[in-house]
Amino acid sequence: MLIKILNTLLMIVVALSITGVINRTRALLAGRKGIPFLQHIYNVRLQLRKGAVYSNTTTILFRIAPCVYLGAALIAFLFIPVADLEPLLSFHGDIIFVAYLLALSRTALILAALDTGSSFEGMGAAREALYGALVEPALMMAMATLALFCGYSSFADIFAMAQELDMNLTIVLVMVAYVFVIIMFIESGRVPVDDPRTHLELTMIHEVMCLDFSGIDMAMIHIAGWLKNAIFSIIAANAIAVVFCFHWWFAAPLAILVTGISIGIVESLRARNKLSRNITYILTIVAMSALVLLIGFLLIQNIEI
Amino acid sequence: MYLYALIIAALVVACIFAAPLRHKVWVATGAIAVAAVAAISLAVMAFVHGTVELATIITPLFGAEYLAVDKLSSLFLGVISLTSIATVLYAKGYVEGYLTRYSPWHISLHYTALVTLVVSMMLVVMSSGGFSFLFAWELMTIASFILILFEADRHETRRAALNYLVMMHIGFMFLVAGFALLYEYTGSANFSAIVNYFKWATPLPLFVVFFIGFGMKAGVFPMHIWLPEAHPAAPSHVSAIMSGVMIKTGVYGVIRLMQAIDHNTELLYSIGLIVLLSGIITGIWGVILAAMQNDIKRLLAYSSIENIGVILIGLGIAAVGHAAGSNLIGMCGISGALLHTVNHSLFKSMLFFSAGNIYSKMHTTAMNQMGGLAKHMPITAILMLIGTVAICALPPLNGFVSELLIYIGMFNGVSDGHEVLYSVAAIIALSAIGGIVVLAFTKLYGTVFLGSPRSTHVAECSEVDNLRIGAIAIPAAFILFIGLFPQYAVKPITIVAEAVSGADHTIAIDHFAPTLSTLSYAGWAVIIITGLLFWAKQRAQRNRSVEHGPTWGCGFTALNTRMQYTGESYSEGLENIAKSLMKDTVDGRSVDKGEIFPTTHNYRIRHKDKVDSLLGHWWVVLMHRINEYVMRLRTGHVNKYITFALVFLVAVLLLSILNIL
Repeated sequence: MLIKILNTLLMIVVALSITGVINRTRALLAGRKGIPFLQHIYNVRLQLRKGAVYSNTTTILFRIAPCVYLGAALIAFLFIPVADLEPLLSFHGDIIFVAYLLALSRTALILAALDTGSSFEGMGAAREALYGALVEPALMMAMATLALFCGYSSFADIFAMAQELDMNLTIVLVMVAYVFVIIMFIESGRVPVDDPRTHLELTMIHEVMCLDFSGIDMAMIHIAGWLKNAIFSIIAANAIAVVFCFHWWFAAPLAILVTGISIGIVESLRARNKLSRNITYILTIVAMSALVLLIGFLLIQNIEI
Repeated sequence: MYLYALIIAALVVACIFAAPLRHKVWVATGAIAVAAVAAISLAVMAFVHGTVELATIITPLFGAEYLAVDKLSSLFLGVISLTSIATVLYAKGYVEGYLTRYSPWHISLHYTALVTLVVSMMLVVMSSGGFSFLFAWELMTIASFILILFEADRHETRRAALNYLVMMHIGFMFLVAGFALLYEYTGSANFSAIVNYFKWATPLPLFVVFFIGFGMKAGVFPMHIWLPEAHPAAPSHVSAIMSGVMIKTGVYGVIRLMQAIDHNTELLYSIGLIVLLSGIITGIWGVILAAMQNDIKRLLAYSSIENIGVILIGLGIAAVGHAAGSNLIGMCGISGALLHTVNHSLFKSMLFFSAGNIYSKMHTTAMNQMGGLAKHMPITAILMLIGTVAICALPPLNGFVSELLIYIGMFNGVSDGHEVLYSVAAIIALSAIGGIVVLAFTKLYGTVFLGSPRSTHVAECSEVDNLRIGAIAIPAAFILFIGLFPQYAVKPITIVAEAVSGADHTIAIDHFAPTLSTLSYAGWAVIIITGLLFWAKQRAQRNRSVEHGPTWGCGFTALNTRMQYTGESYSEGLENIAKSLMKDTVDGRSVDKGEIFPTTHNYRIRHKDKVDSLLGHWWVVLMHRINEYVMRLRTGHVNKYITFALVFLVAVLLLSILNIL
């Protein structure tokens, strides 16, 4: 039980710190002093204290949606182990449950965006739905690769088995980690797919869906975003940790650093894609995860022969 | 036996025709309720005692056959009974609007056909022999044909109904051929004879013939083209029962075949591949086309095709896994497919009922005329939301449970090294389907119920009568039950799956039980946490300023409701990827990019299935070409016609002299 609590606490730490690391990395690369490490938490605390403005067009669905968004992400969050620790919840096949919970949260936000009747938010919803649909196979294949190596279909079992893996699979595991990081870029709306700092609604994807949220609702959406980031980065970090040092004290900082720094660097160095390029970008990731799976399959076959 | 059945049938029909206009529905309801109660009690008996034999029929064609209920039939009997009760209750409210428009005779015919459809579907899943099966199958086709023709004064309806009738009879011919083949080789046309057939004849042709016959009904690619035509034309409750259960009789046939092949590993493997592949293509094709549609019922029809694809993927993976020696994969696949059959009958009938509510108020099913209906029809909106979440296979509702079972089967295939590549192909297909179905149904729900109205008709809409709401609530209750208590709902399904696959179901129960109960807790946790968050938020906002205002227009102040994102624009991104699957028909002209001050434009686009034109187009052209030649003979001169007759007679004479005729 203690291990499970430690696991959850570590996950929370990871979730809270990633955005800070991103901001620090960006500031460092741009030669700015930058905002404090915990600024994003202060911002959310401020939002939690505020009132709200609701559009007259919206229905009750608009008010429930942020709760579903956060609630689903929160439950998904509890299934993820940090390296050799045990997650709070686990069952056979929970990798599918987690993927579909994330889809549930996405659906809630899409419906809320359509509820406002704004054309901009419609645009964001359409893009989010399309990208979500395209990225789903990549996510499933990355998970199938893990299942192929470890012979299980729940996160806890997969990573419990992972320590006995053959070192030949190193390259594949690193690529799985890469795929998960890119999936995180897409799911959380980061450069190069989407730019969270853009000021033009026409080109927004994720941010434009939240235009009409304010106060507590907005805070919930931010928190859910952190949780989602943490889910993907921990899985990616676990895959890398399998190769080097499979312990929680290695995986947790790795999760924060890998995703935080990579997002920070990418956001500092390159511009976002043209919108029409995004689909190609996502399909490339799908193709890549298929490739990773195939290589993994061939390697496994060779080892057994 | 025959005599009693005929007398009862005649009495019911006579009662429906004789009853006063407003009470016809109650006669039909009574008949269907009796049939449903009988069917459910038979199903329960079959569950307890194994197979229940009802009657032996001496058929003129294939000899003795019998009506029997086994575990597989009992599952389908349950599904049929449940949906048909909801359907007939819904029909009352729906038909009410047409009572003055159509003659009493017309209404009676409609209810008679509805009762016939229900009874014939029950007979289909009970008859174990070729003749009685084909008889019931044909009865089912004709009854549904009459049901589709309800609004026969509309041109599209007649066209769709004829299209349906022709396609169904092509399928019927294949089934006749299949049973005839079976009879010729084994001397019996019973389903149980298939086992013998497969022992010594080349098995694949028979399977393909049957698969085409059943696939025509189920809507397997490329035989699905009747579905998106027939459903928008039929009344909503008819669409519900046809899409919810009638097309499942095709699935039933496929399962029966697979049951017969079960012990022949090699054959099972190749058949599993056929089923899996057609499931993948059907599912992906269906879901992409669904996302493209701008008509509520056409979207739902394509989504039925997609769900048939999902069911076939489950069956295919089960067959492949079972052939490869894994009982667990077999159990997962079959139980997933069977549960998905049940689930789809629930949420699809519910969605079609809701579409009927909208149609009866808006008098159209074009999505882009709607918007903001949730404010005028709140209960329909809530029920439709449940259906939407369920059909998107999102937790914690029932669609997820069945897809999870199929996924577990596939992931087991991957992790245990059984047929990894096929499992991976199925995983990719199922996840792509899962992603795009969210796009399709958020489009449907968002365009119809959310946002602001796109036409003035929306303001005149109001909630429908309570009976109809009640009818929709029946499937909704089951959806919630299966979704939130999967551990209880899956248990009977595994028993049926055991009977089908012959595998030991205790493995599956042991395997599923912890998964499903944790899933149940997790589902409740999602609901409870969401509820708590909502409660906390409402509580926190009680003492704060909560204001209302217009939607943020991003600095633009002259917004109007026509500027909203339409269903068409919502799916534009996917359209760019999947252009090659469709053929667009465009009326009018879109606004040109160079047009700085646009004038009024009429623009109507319909994305037609490419298969439709592939199958339909070439033979129309061919017929035209042949006709051109034939028309040359039609000169209008009587003397030439007499010459033709003379030539014909001489030809006959010559042929008979030469002993050729």
